[in-house]
Amino acid sequence: MKTITTKSAPLGDSLPRREFLRLTAVSGAFLAVGCSPGMGGEGKVTTIDPAGGTDFSLNQFIVINTNGRVLLYNHRPEMGQGTYQAIPMILAEELEVDVEKIEILPSAADEKRYGSQMVVGSRSIQTEYANLRNMGAAAREMLKQAAANGWQVEVSECKASLGEVIHTSGKKLTYGELVEEASKLTPPENPPLKAPGDFKVIGQPIARRDVPAKTNGAAIYGLDIQVPGMLYASVERSPVFLGRVVSFNDEKAKAVPGVKAVVKTQRNVWGHTREGVAVVADNYWAANQGRKALEIKWDTGGLEKNSSATILKKYKADAAKEGVSLAEGGNVSTVGGEGKVIEAAYETPYQSHVCMEPMNATVSVKEGKAEFWGSTQNPNGIRSQLARQLSIEPDNVAINYTFMGGGFGRRSMTDVAEEAADISLQVGAPVKVVWTREDDLTQGPFRAASLNICRGTVAGGKVVTLEHKVVAQEIQNQTGDKMEAGRQLMGGINTEYEIPNYRVSGVLQKHYVPITYWRAVYHTTNCFAHESFIDELARAAGKDPLDFRLDMLKNHLRYTKVLQTLAEKTNWYAPKEEGVGRGVSILERSGAFTGMVIEVKKENGKVKPVKITTVVDVGICINPDTVRAQTEGSIVMGLTATYKGGIRLENGAVAQSNFHDYNMLTFEECPPCETYIIQNEEKPEGAGESGLANVAPSLCNAVFDLTGVRVRKLPLDLGAIG
Amino acid sequence: MASLTLRINNRDYPMEVDPQMPLLWAIRDFALLTGTKFGCGISQCGACTVHIDGEPVRSCVTPVSGATGKSITTIEGLSADNDHPVQQAWQEEQVPQCGYCQSGQIMTAAALLSKHPKPSEEQINAYMSPIICRCGTYVRIKRAVDKAVEINQKA
Repeated sequence: MKTITTKSAPLGDSLPRREFLRLTAVSGAFLAVGCSPGMGGEGKVTTIDPAGGTDFSLNQFIVINTNGRVLLYNHRPEMGQGTYQAIPMILAEELEVDVEKIEILPSAADEKRYGSQMVVGSRSIQTEYANLRNMGAAAREMLKQAAANGWQVEVSECKASLGEVIHTSGKKLTYGELVEEASKLTPPENPPLKAPGDFKVIGQPIARRDVPAKTNGAAIYGLDIQVPGMLYASVERSPVFLGRVVSFNDEKAKAVPGVKAVVKTQRNVWGHTREGVAVVADNYWAANQGRKALEIKWDTGGLEKNSSATILKKYKADAAKEGVSLAEGGNVSTVGGEGKVIEAAYETPYQSHVCMEPMNATVSVKEGKAEFWGSTQNPNGIRSQLARQLSIEPDNVAINYTFMGGGFGRRSMTDVAEEAADISLQVGAPVKVVWTREDDLTQGPFRAASLNICRGTVAGGKVVTLEHKVVAQEIQNQTGDKMEAGRQLMGGINTEYEIPNYRVSGVLQKHYVPITYWRAVYHTTNCFAHESFIDELARAAGKDPLDFRLDMLKNHLRYTKVLQTLAEKTNWYAPKEEGVGRGVSILERSGAFTGMVIEVKKENGKVKPVKITTVVDVGICINPDTVRAQTEGSIVMGLTATYKGGIRLENGAVAQSNFHDYNMLTFEECPPCETYIIQNEEKPEGAGESGLANVAPSLCNAVFDLTGVRVRKLPLDLGAIG
Repeated sequence: MASLTLRINNRDYPMEVDPQMPLLWAIRDFALLTGTKFGCGISQCGACTVHIDGEPVRSCVTPVSGATGKSITTIEGLSADNDHPVQQAWQEEQVPQCGYCQSGQIMTAAALLSKHPKPSEEQINAYMSPIICRCGTYVRIKRAVDKAVEINQKA
């Protein structure tokens, strides 16, 4: 069956003709493999089916055609995390349809119909699971009721299976035959849900529908958007964050063929205004050439005196402060009393997200209305941002979201759309702002740098007291006078360990370096410190580091299971191979429990990770292949952050500029990874960051195991380990 | 500015461009073939890899003037039905996550296979290591390259 997907525009004639044609053309290719182009947008998505039939919607997620075609809307943007498939899988499970035959389309960005569509913190499945099951089940019950009404039988005599309702007598009607009547019924509020033991779709490693479009160039990303009359903008920004434009000379820039305008612009990053000068041209290359010809005088107000060294010096000085207590139990004043006292300070640098698709946004501002096209983790946030910035009603802002070429937290920000809207307003045309890789790397915002001070006492083979102080900036508190550390700072510090006396505290840092959410956020800095320190305490106590953890988590069934499984899968208790170091760590992130063992060896005099074994407990696992993929990806990002590099600040600015000096882990460097998923019937938790924050402590603990060198500062220089 | 014609995927694309403009932008913004991606602009990530006369080339640092009169193949032209052995293998192994770098990965793997139908580990590393994937799909790329070799040999 061939179908053509079209979209009606919400803003009069604003639907871009060229985009419409491309989308339609692309749809044909997609539908050949049963997939949509991956672009969710405003307006009602309607389908024209050459084979005839009419679409009926049973709720905002489920549309069934009278010819039996099942269309499921995915309301969460896709950045690689796999909800594009997982969300329809949950719907299909309760709806009782053949998951191979469903069609998936991205929904409109519509908070009123779908609630939050923000994809952050691995929350999509965690928060939407119950609702999606209800939606699928309610639609299924409506179809059953329609059949029962038609047959004049009790609904309890009907069951639904693979797109049909079947009566105990054996008579059947297809969903296509029932949908029109079903759509007239009131959806039940509490439809019966399937027992997890009866799941046929959830838990299966079903191939992702977005994959074929990602192997032939058909998938549409923000950078691929073309709208009629669109201009391209490249923006020069102060290398020293917060630098203000004093003056600029655009004479040479305007002389570049294709350049149409040069305008000052600005965007807001967590309360800070960031200025820039935009060169607008009829093609991106010309905009970039024009930008290079700009002469700008910046006022950096002394901020250029900052560097990684000055920032760390301040953090170290402030580490002497008592800090705000964020969590505590027992009495930590016993430190220094009975037992052996261990102290350690851990340092982690700023890190960049470096999504492979550089930041970009396309916005058209016209006659009191605005329309956005692009890759975003936060479609609703962009609507609010543009409405606020342009002083228009949110209903006058249309949002079209595409596939994202990576997100990792960076695309939860709305600053690039703000920039595009500001420039579009000034030049009176739709504008696509494209950041260069250098812009991305040098402008941030970044994963926060951190100094973690740990202090503990061990006696009789056990931890008596543990203090962990975090000295770092806080994402939610980057401007203003409030200097009290908040609980965000303690993300990833495991307080489940049964330690009689413990205290987690924070010393807030507030300065000009912009930070934001970065995949697994504070876990990536705090877990490095905490799980390394637990290893140090284990060594001081003369205990096996895995057993040491188990002993402190006797009453925590899920951690215990993770650790026991990890021991089994890695043959932890078998005699260790000569020349191998092993490190272990555990953590909880977004509700999921993860344990990881990294094995290292010395090859050609250099230490390298040779095997990574991960055990994850995400509760009910929607698609195990996706959970594995997310874990593998998290490991690669974790290895990159642990030993490939970190953002360095010199003269107030980022010292690196592109992939040649801010290195990523390569194909060749990626060690074999084994991932095991714990089977249980706990509610589904977030799987998108599983293992990322385990990598640094597991690797550094393994390095210690092999060499006796304790790593307390990242990035780790693996080549320099003796 | 100059009038020139690029031959991409066996089709002619006449355009009026700065001959020094990188081929990447000509392909994306003038020929409107957006499967080829911009990742770094300095030949460090490989997302922009296309074939010129069968050779893998970083289009972000290749001036348009260097590509005229030659045969350019982009991801859109690798196969008519998304079924080149590399594409099949990538689908079977469920390689892509965000998918953004995968055009470059696939075009590079396709070039590897055409040069070395039975590649050694060193040859695989030499071709694939310079292509960055931030999602970290390397574990699957490894499997998919092996599978593509298999499919290619059967074909």
